[in-house]
Amino acid sequence: MNDADETEAREVCLVDDDASVLRSMQYLLASDGIKVRAFNKPEEFLAHAAARPVNVVVTDIWMDGVTGLEILARMCALSPRPRVIVITARDDLAARATATAIGPVAFFIKPFNDEEFLAAVREALALAKIS
Amino acid sequence: MSEANKVAKGQREAEEPFYAGQTRILEMIASDAPLPEILTNLVLLMEAQEEGMLCSILVLAVDGIRVRHGAAPSLPEAYVKAVNGAPIGPRNGSCGTAMYLKRPVVVTDVLADPLWADYRHLAEICGLRACWSTPIFSPQGDVLGSFAMYRQEPRGPNAAETHLTQIATHIAGIAIERQRVQETLRERDARINLAAESADLAFWVIYPEQNTAWMSDKGRAIYGFDSKLALNRDLICSRVHPDERAAVHAAFDRACASHGLFESEHRLVLPYGKTRWVIVRGRCLEDEHGNLLELIGVTIDVSAQKQADLQLQLQREEMSHLNRVALMGEMTASVAHELNQPLTAIANNASAARRFLERGNIDPVLLQQLLQDMVADSQRAGEVIRGIRALVQKDKTVVRSVLNLNAVIADTLRLVSSDIVLRESVVITEMDRSLPQVEAVLVQIQQVLLNLIMNALDAVEARPPAERRIIISTRSLNGESAEVSVRDFGTGLPKDRPDKVFDHFFSTKQTGMGMGLTIVRSIVETHGGKIGAENAPDRGARFFFHLPAARGDSKSQAA
Repeated sequence: MNDADETEAREVCLVDDDASVLRSMQYLLASDGIKVRAFNKPEEFLAHAAARPVNVVVTDIWMDGVTGLEILARMCALSPRPRVIVITARDDLAARATATAIGPVAFFIKPFNDEEFLAAVREALALAKIS
Repeated sequence: MSEANKVAKGQREAEEPFYAGQTRILEMIASDAPLPEILTNLVLLMEAQEEGMLCSILVLAVDGIRVRHGAAPSLPEAYVKAVNGAPIGPRNGSCGTAMYLKRPVVVTDVLADPLWADYRHLAEICGLRACWSTPIFSPQGDVLGSFAMYRQEPRGPNAAETHLTQIATHIAGIAIERQRVQETLRERDARINLAAESADLAFWVIYPEQNTAWMSDKGRAIYGFDSKLALNRDLICSRVHPDERAAVHAAFDRACASHGLFESEHRLVLPYGKTRWVIVRGRCLEDEHGNLLELIGVTIDVSAQKQADLQLQLQREEMSHLNRVALMGEMTASVAHELNQPLTAIANNASAARRFLERGNIDPVLLQQLLQDMVADSQRAGEVIRGIRALVQKDKTVVRSVLNLNAVIADTLRLVSSDIVLRESVVITEMDRSLPQVEAVLVQIQQVLLNLIMNALDAVEARPPAERRIIISTRSLNGESAEVSVRDFGTGLPKDRPDKVFDHFFSTKQTGMGMGLTIVRSIVETHGGKIGAENAPDRGARFFFHLPAARGDSKSQAA
């Protein structure tokens, strides 16, 4: 592993089409010392994921253009498979079912408990480091 | 004294009373004496001019077919009775034939003349032998009746008798014509009064010069005036509701100044506090020199109608409101999402700020940024709630404003964006940038759009996700109106009558009330617009409505 890969291993990719939510999540993760790469457009994240390894993704489900479910499906095709944390405004059973079918995923409904969320992100990062 | 002298003396003696008699009869006509009395006097006057002469006047009924007894004071009653009601015709005695042919008919011997075949025995009984009849004409040349002279010996009329006949038919013509005109006037008056009473109409006349006014009994009842009270314009206007009085005065002034028409709908407040809604229409009358004589008009009490209208309006508002509440229920995903977004951002920013503070290394600029974001997101949440409240609120303040429909569509789509995404559907917009602006109630237009969009989403629900497309487009119709079209790719509308979907309680949906599109149509029509629905050529339905361009704004400022 080179230096660049080391850096990316501790980085969380954040995908949300709502600019103010995206920025607040960035601040929240930063307040816990977590490095974040934010994407306002899901397409841009997919382009990024196609070119570089991604360890942890925090994504919204219902977005314009590409939905979070599509992102989950694309992540399954990647190797190593990234850890995914889904954040949604609505407890949608279909979304939860699809997400868990794809793999072990943390599922948060907005607004969520900050401690639990940050713990989930830290855990995902730790697991990504090991694998 | 010779026979000739006798006649000459008789004529001279008769001449003075004859002219006096004519004058007397004309005076009777002018003073509207009853027609039978006038005609009887005329016949007696004529009979007095000639020894052994009997006269009669028949009046043609309005149907133009039957004759009515006019005057025949010297003829036997049996004869008069037999003639009354007989039809006119080419062989109906002297009178019936004269009226039928519209020319004098001279029968010198009724016992020999074929015209008298049907009346011969009657004439014989009555001792009548000759009968000369002349039609009486109106100024327009219509036959009004006939004047006849009878003799007991068979002969034709002499010059004096022909002259007398001319005078008699002329005077009788004036009398009968005048009576007919007055009958027509009386009938018209009666008809107008009947119509006025049954329509709750009040008549009034204002004389601006004299500062007086007249009002029918019905009018006094509507305005609450005592039947004896002397009226004038100010008194009449004093009954007008204070809020509308100045406008009514101004309308009166305008009508008087232009000698034109007056029209106003306003409220009256009666002395005991009762309020009436009235429609007032009037016009100015001028004399032959073009001076204003009077302002005549009618007042119609429309209180009952107004009450019913208000009731209907309230019901419509109630339905409209229920529809919006129902729409809001269908939009739960969007509403939840719209509120959750700013709340999440606020919670995140607050948590972040607390953490930074706990770690003791917060940059004041960063803290400032976090707080600023929290304020902005709180405001955003407030906006969402205000938007929902505006939509669900009852129509208390229905104020029209100048709207750009392209912008309204974009805002409305934002309201339902989450539902569109959640239903895995796509809405494509094709906006005409030269769309004219319209004058409309924002919430109501949003309601129209939401109904059409939610319907379109329902229509495409059964299609595979890739085909769940809705196209919303706008276009300018010659700059005179703005058209909005919502097209889906669903199952389409009933083939026989696509516009049936606008009918009350028509619904193809399991959960539909069948009111949405009825309300949509009523909103569009209240705005002076039109709405329609059709099946698109390939598949799906297309709903379209257009609203007239806002006055003085046929070209839109580009959105």
